[in-house]
Amino acid sequence: MSRREALRAEAVRQLRICDACRYCEGYCAVFPALERRSPEIEGSVDYLANLCHDCRACYYACMYAPPHEFAVNIPRILQDARLAGYDEFVSRRAPHRPLLRGQWVVPAAALGLISLLVATVSAASVGLGAFWRHGHGAASPYQSLPYPALLVLAGIPTLWGVAILARANVRYWRATGGLRGASVRPAALYRALRDAAVLANLRGGGGECFYPDERPSPLRRRLHAAVAYGFVLCVASTVSAAVEQDLLGVQPPYGLFSVPVLLGLVGGVALVVGCAGLIWLKLRSDPAPESVAMAVRDYGLLFWLGLLSASGLAVLGLRWSTVAGAAFLVHLAVVLTAFVLAPYTKFAHVGYRVLALVQDAAERAGRRSAPAPAPGGGRPA
Amino acid sequence: MGAWLRSGRSRGPTPAEGRGPVRAAVDLLDAGPFDVVVLGGGNAALVAALTAREAGRRVLLLERAPEAQRGGNSRHTRNIRCVHDGNDGRSVGGYGFDELWSDLCGVGDGPADEKLAALTIRASAELPAWMSARGVRWQAALAGTLQLDRTNRFFLGGGKALVNTYYRRAAALGVHVAYGVTAEDLVVEGDRCTAVVASCAGRTFEVAAKAVVCAAGGFEANLEWLRAYWGDAVDSFVVRGPRDNDGRVLRALYRAGARRVGREEGFHAVAVDARSPRFDGGIATRIDAIPFGIVVNRDAQRFYDEGEDIWPKRYAQWGRNIARQPGQIAYCLWDSKAAGRFLPPMFPPLQAGSVDELALQLGLDPRALGATVDSYNSRAGDPATFRPGEPDGCATRGLVPPKSNWALPLDQPPFFAVPLRPGITFTYLGVAVDERGRVVGADGTPFVNVTAAGEIMSGNILSSGYLAGFGMTIGTVWGRIAGRTAADVAA
Repeated sequence: MSRREALRAEAVRQLRICDACRYCEGYCAVFPALERRSPEIEGSVDYLANLCHDCRACYYACMYAPPHEFAVNIPRILQDARLAGYDEFVSRRAPHRPLLRGQWVVPAAALGLISLLVATVSAASVGLGAFWRHGHGAASPYQSLPYPALLVLAGIPTLWGVAILARANVRYWRATGGLRGASVRPAALYRALRDAAVLANLRGGGGECFYPDERPSPLRRRLHAAVAYGFVLCVASTVSAAVEQDLLGVQPPYGLFSVPVLLGLVGGVALVVGCAGLIWLKLRSDPAPESVAMAVRDYGLLFWLGLLSASGLAVLGLRWSTVAGAAFLVHLAVVLTAFVLAPYTKFAHVGYRVLALVQDAAERAGRRSAPAPAPGGGRPA
Repeated sequence: MGAWLRSGRSRGPTPAEGRGPVRAAVDLLDAGPFDVVVLGGGNAALVAALTAREAGRRVLLLERAPEAQRGGNSRHTRNIRCVHDGNDGRSVGGYGFDELWSDLCGVGDGPADEKLAALTIRASAELPAWMSARGVRWQAALAGTLQLDRTNRFFLGGGKALVNTYYRRAAALGVHVAYGVTAEDLVVEGDRCTAVVASCAGRTFEVAAKAVVCAAGGFEANLEWLRAYWGDAVDSFVVRGPRDNDGRVLRALYRAGARRVGREEGFHAVAVDARSPRFDGGIATRIDAIPFGIVVNRDAQRFYDEGEDIWPKRYAQWGRNIARQPGQIAYCLWDSKAAGRFLPPMFPPLQAGSVDELALQLGLDPRALGATVDSYNSRAGDPATFRPGEPDGCATRGLVPPKSNWALPLDQPPFFAVPLRPGITFTYLGVAVDERGRVVGADGTPFVNVTAAGEIMSGNILSSGYLAGFGMTIGTVWGRIAGRTAADVAA
């Protein structure tokens, strides 16, 4: 049995206990979905694993959690199952695996190489003035790298990252059977996106997630929102800069109260705070419901996002200084590396999670008119 | 009184004591005096401890299990049955005193002590608000489920989530909780208890107390005690809750002269998978397939009407039925038509293409099983009348014993089976209490400062039979009463 098969078998063993118990059905989307998939748990592990938001409410509520001999630990086994899926969907070839293992060597080497590339292109096109200068006013990025070079340098990794992630999401969709005959109506799609936007499944049936320990707390949900929306604001900042330049004809640098700078500033601060907060929480989190392998990925993603936003804020802060050019180029190298590596990091969870929520919403809508349970069915007391 | 004293039986520190939890428990036992000592760590004990603490008393709770397994049988519960007027925004229609009273009269021998049963029902009205105020969360009523949504409120996440909430609350209020401590005995002088004898990590302590709440459950895990009534049949019993429930505190109360209530040999049991662990398998091991199949004993003979009644009454019947069969084992059989109509079993069922093959897998005589299935099939009900959601009168014709509902023939392979054992949930034998929750002596006078709550006294309310969620009602109502009385006495 391969590791992946062994993991799936263990997930199925635990989920069968859940299916026979059902006490957790009020917590999140996973348990009602498990009930719907009751006859076909084996084929539903990837779906259920990605539907799980790791709120850990079920672990603390479980009378079968270790040291009980049933050893039910759903957050942990589903983390392991998710992780195995991340690896399988993004790359089936061995050479990429070291990237996936969350080791530091490959990312550091990638950052080094890309920095060298950026510096070379920059120096070749602008000269040494790309890195430091003695001029007045805010620096323009094009003083360090001409626009066409920037476009090519940034475009390739971006397209690469997006393409690999898209392929991985298609593979997830196929592996889990997609909509399996259900149709996505606007109401269901809205529900899925709303649940994703507000992290409804981190609220454990109206409570809060049990993180970092057995006391429910909204902290993780809020910090995750800071990271997610911080990232969205940073992307929006870049997009708005493109709009200013290419559609409105306003060239950088943009003023402190311009749309790109404000979006980037708020987003960057949210990202730094969110990443630092989540790392701080994770260091304190109860190890029992946590997969070590997944935690390594979590730290990896948080570190990269933190670096991304910190270097972006540095560009803003140093734009009047002599090292404005160097700061910009460092940020660019970090961004490019992040794009190249994104599919191999936990960043990939975003797509699977949203797709799983869409599948769940479609299935739920399809089951509205399901027949009433049998007299033996329903809830044991 | 007031000063604690270490018992002369103390053997000094043991190697195990170096570890954190044991050290913490031992330190607590040495940290008296306490106003109220609560024996037990489940729902009733926690409710009593919270109540006494909220009244300002210094409270020590002795939980026998380690922290990870705290909560006793309450960990395996799921809901509570309370009267309400239907204006709680959760359910359609009210559930009044008369209706709950008549439900109570419909199970077993009905209410044991009518005065105390009526008091319990009346007091149940306050429970949801009391519990919510202490952080308990409820599961939203699910659309289109059983009528249970009207009569019972479900704890979000079940009983362990409930006790976790209470333990968090207890910690916040400053209740002292000692884990891994077994209450062994009560030191009684006349009608008063002066101290509790407790053991922890091989040492024995006498913990002085102004009042004691006994909420340590029944004796369902004490197989030797059960053997006195059931003989060697106990070797086939499965105990659904933790193995700690050995009735030690109940025995101590009898030694102190408490009066007995409830049926001595009585227990509530359901049909569980024979492959379940001996202890603590809880809800996941019960078998729900019976109404959609047939049940045979080890001689491959049917012995009871599988379609007798709808859940939940039926649910409580089968443990006893199986306990009375030879070898205390039975086998539930169904065919592919029935798959998916009931909660799936935790252990995958045995499966075969024919009844013969299934018999061989089960170790039953294939000819006998074949004859039983043929005889049942030839007298099965009319499939046109089959309605899985209600008692449908799709009954066998001229069969003994009959199957009065859902009696479809077993004729579509593959065939499935699970072996069944009686799974004991709780015992009925307990101690008599008065209206203030004080334990009553054999002569009818109550102990001044010894109260009881939960399963240890539920025989006052219900001496046989079972009503879903009412055990938690008894535990919570009497936990509050016992906690208040203990707080008053210790004032």
